[in-house]
Amino acid sequence: MLTLLQGGHVIDPATGRNEIGDVYFEDGRIVAKPDGRKPDVTHDVSGHYVMAGAIDIHSHIAGGNVNTARLLLPEMHRAIRARLAGTPLSTAKWSTYETGRLYAQMGFTTVIEPAVAPHHSLQAHLEFADMPIIDVGGLTVLGNDDFMLSMLRAGENPSALNDYVARTVTSTRTLGLKCINPGGVEGFKENMRVFGLDDVVPFYGVTSRQIVQALQKSTQAVGIHHPLHLHMNNLRIAGNIDTALATIDAAQGLPMHLAHVQFYAYGKEGKHAFSSAGAQFAEKVNANKNVSVDVGQVMFSETVTVSSDVLKQFNSLSGAIPKKGAIFDGDANGGGIVPYAYKISNYYNAVQWAAGLELFLLIDDPHQVFFTTDHPNGGPFTTYPELFALLMSADLRAQWLSRLPAEALEATTLPSIKREYTLYEIAVMSRSGPAKLYGFTDRGQLGAGAVADIAVYKQQRDRAGMFRKAALVFKDGELVVKDGEVSHYKQGKTLYTAPKFDKAIDKRLDRYYEDLYGLPRTIFDLPQAALPNHDAFAEVSCRS
Amino acid sequence: MSSATLDGAPIAIEEAYAHAARLLSEAKFPLIAGLGADAAGARAAILLAERLRGAYDHLASDAILADLDTMRGFTLFTTTPNEARLRGDVILFVGPGLSEQWPTLFERLALEKTVHFQNGAPRKVFWLGPKRGEGKIDGVEVEVIPATAEALPHTLAALRARTAGRPVAMAAAATKKLDAVGEALRSAKFGVAVWSGSSIDQLTVEALQGLLSDLNATTRFTGVPIGARSAGATVTQVSGWMTGFPPRTGFGRGYPEHDPWRFEATRLVDSGEADAALWISAYDGEGPGWDGEIPTVTLAPKGAKKPAQGLFIEVGRPGEAHDALELTQEIASFALRKATAPSDAPSVATALAAIGAKISEDAAC
Repeated sequence: MLTLLQGGHVIDPATGRNEIGDVYFEDGRIVAKPDGRKPDVTHDVSGHYVMAGAIDIHSHIAGGNVNTARLLLPEMHRAIRARLAGTPLSTAKWSTYETGRLYAQMGFTTVIEPAVAPHHSLQAHLEFADMPIIDVGGLTVLGNDDFMLSMLRAGENPSALNDYVARTVTSTRTLGLKCINPGGVEGFKENMRVFGLDDVVPFYGVTSRQIVQALQKSTQAVGIHHPLHLHMNNLRIAGNIDTALATIDAAQGLPMHLAHVQFYAYGKEGKHAFSSAGAQFAEKVNANKNVSVDVGQVMFSETVTVSSDVLKQFNSLSGAIPKKGAIFDGDANGGGIVPYAYKISNYYNAVQWAAGLELFLLIDDPHQVFFTTDHPNGGPFTTYPELFALLMSADLRAQWLSRLPAEALEATTLPSIKREYTLYEIAVMSRSGPAKLYGFTDRGQLGAGAVADIAVYKQQRDRAGMFRKAALVFKDGELVVKDGEVSHYKQGKTLYTAPKFDKAIDKRLDRYYEDLYGLPRTIFDLPQAALPNHDAFAEVSCRS
Repeated sequence: MSSATLDGAPIAIEEAYAHAARLLSEAKFPLIAGLGADAAGARAAILLAERLRGAYDHLASDAILADLDTMRGFTLFTTTPNEARLRGDVILFVGPGLSEQWPTLFERLALEKTVHFQNGAPRKVFWLGPKRGEGKIDGVEVEVIPATAEALPHTLAALRARTAGRPVAMAAAATKKLDAVGEALRSAKFGVAVWSGSSIDQLTVEALQGLLSDLNATTRFTGVPIGARSAGATVTQVSGWMTGFPPRTGFGRGYPEHDPWRFEATRLVDSGEADAALWISAYDGEGPGWDGEIPTVTLAPKGAKKPAQGLFIEVGRPGEAHDALELTQEIASFALRKATAPSDAPSVATALAAIGAKISEDAAC
């Protein structure tokens, strides 16, 4: 069935389109305008923007830690309305079903869960399977695991680590590698309460820097598209800009993605010894094209912090709002879940908010900076429309700035920044940029051959309102959202990459698990065939 | 072949499914209880409860909530059995019956071995309030702190107080003993408490977590909970991502509401609020705990006591008759359990799919 979206304002950075024009698709794929054929269905989308479906590169939507957060805070997510027909559990707040629905309604069609623990990958995939409409993918967490740390301690040949990395990513069915407070979480099990880039992991004698560099090189060596996705040391500590700058230097020019960097953009200026270092951070990113970042913007709201940085989360417990939490020392990283409320009247929160926006606005290339709120850590993903509106309007930012504590304004350069994102730049940051970052060749764009994941927004001055409720969303060419409401479910796909490795690593791991844990290694393997969506996996090829 | 009975008399399986569908869809407020099922079974049951606008509860919700209410009202420190095995230098068992609830407990923790991640340091093992004769583990020296079930909360509270240096109204000898235990806990490098919400109540779990919280001010001390019977941990997780809530959740208004009192199965039946029940107990056929009479569909495995009244459908035991995904106590994580004695008895998920297929989509919502 040939479908035509006629006369919309097409914004598609991947193909350079920014014009009034048409988009055709058939059998789930975008096609060039066919000669001599009339479309079977035509949607008049004049007065609308037409973009590829958006891609969220970092959002905690599934897995054991997220589920603990759900169970920790029943009072935070009371449902309030019954669902529409054909969408079971879609109004059950914070359920996987609601997550799929809410993303789709905003025109998002691909979302990456960035913290899949190798020993818990099955639960993440079970939750993915219950997330309708959107395509999903994960990042596998290494860097605080005994096997890897022991390899570094023994000074093994990097090829062994490459095999381990490739095997772990392949067997957990994710898109790449994440490293969370490298060495610091292991150090916390040895009762360390702070851990920096050059601190030594007890028992293993390696530093965070060495872990980062080893994993970064392995990620490149095995051909994983997405660079090492790093949650640095010293998150949310005054003065941690030093850690961030030193980490960028440690990258030695190799590709690296730094996650939720707003939480590292803090100086120690002012009477509270807490200030924004967003400008300094942005300057460093501008000068290091090998680095990409996502912001982890703070949006004023009640939320919950969910992280595999157990050390950091333990330190946050005393400031929990409300006062409770969960601290899980896992086989490697584990997780810490601590509720929190960001308030506009709070000096520190206001500085955090401003620092995030400075990063967005002072990093020149939208291919290097990605919108995230590190959902739910800085705020829920449902605040993206408000965030996009803030980036697109200096006036709107000024209105918000006028409500911030006066002394917070002295700790940030934000009031002086007049830059406004164009819709084209928003499309780079949310469509073509993420596709490039993850090596997706079939999405994030409207070129012929791409999957027909398309978002259509009604043009209006209220940018937040525009992005909150897409007028039309097509997933694989199927209309799933109309006037901002999901009409029915379809099964999305789980994206993964499968770097090659020497199978000898399996035998070694068999022995390791047997000797150390007294368990067969296979107990931790993802039994893909047993998943309800086992036939809905799609491979993203590695770099050759 | 599966077998089904209606009021004790054999009935064809398709008729049984149709009868179950009729009974549940005609009810004003159906209850899905027991919920002893694997991940697929729990998922099917919750989707059915939503469609019927009924409620669901698990047969071991009291034990599940002992831990969960501690977390959502206080804080919960936990770790994996693997970490306890390899890193735990001080182990504190709390409460009776732990090895009955988790038969491979001692084998998994390998307490006779030294501490791997502490260069082979020796372990210290304490057991507060074991059952008579339970505090003996082959090859392990266990220091027992005796306490009856009634005395255990008091002894635990006293231990917490003494560990934090606070006074207690106890005999000097008893205080001295607790002081020695408290000193050992404080000296732990990575201590692990092991408990079960099935043998100690919520306030006692909270007192234990309070002790762990205190200890973490200066050292590391965490815990291994033993999950509730009939896959309580599995069902809690599945329920969590599907509705945001644990069992004891209802869909009367078309969206999930969680209320541990309102949606407690026995209360719903005995008060007459629920007017039909689907009882699922696929592991061991444990029966419901209510006294009231309610039209019931029972899904239970071979060998379970068949009720004289109501509809009974035999299902396969998860992990025995069919492959099952479960949150496995051994690794505190989901894993595949392959069928040990495959049979063609339907799984809970299969049976519920068959029942659901006979319920009109218009029945609810």
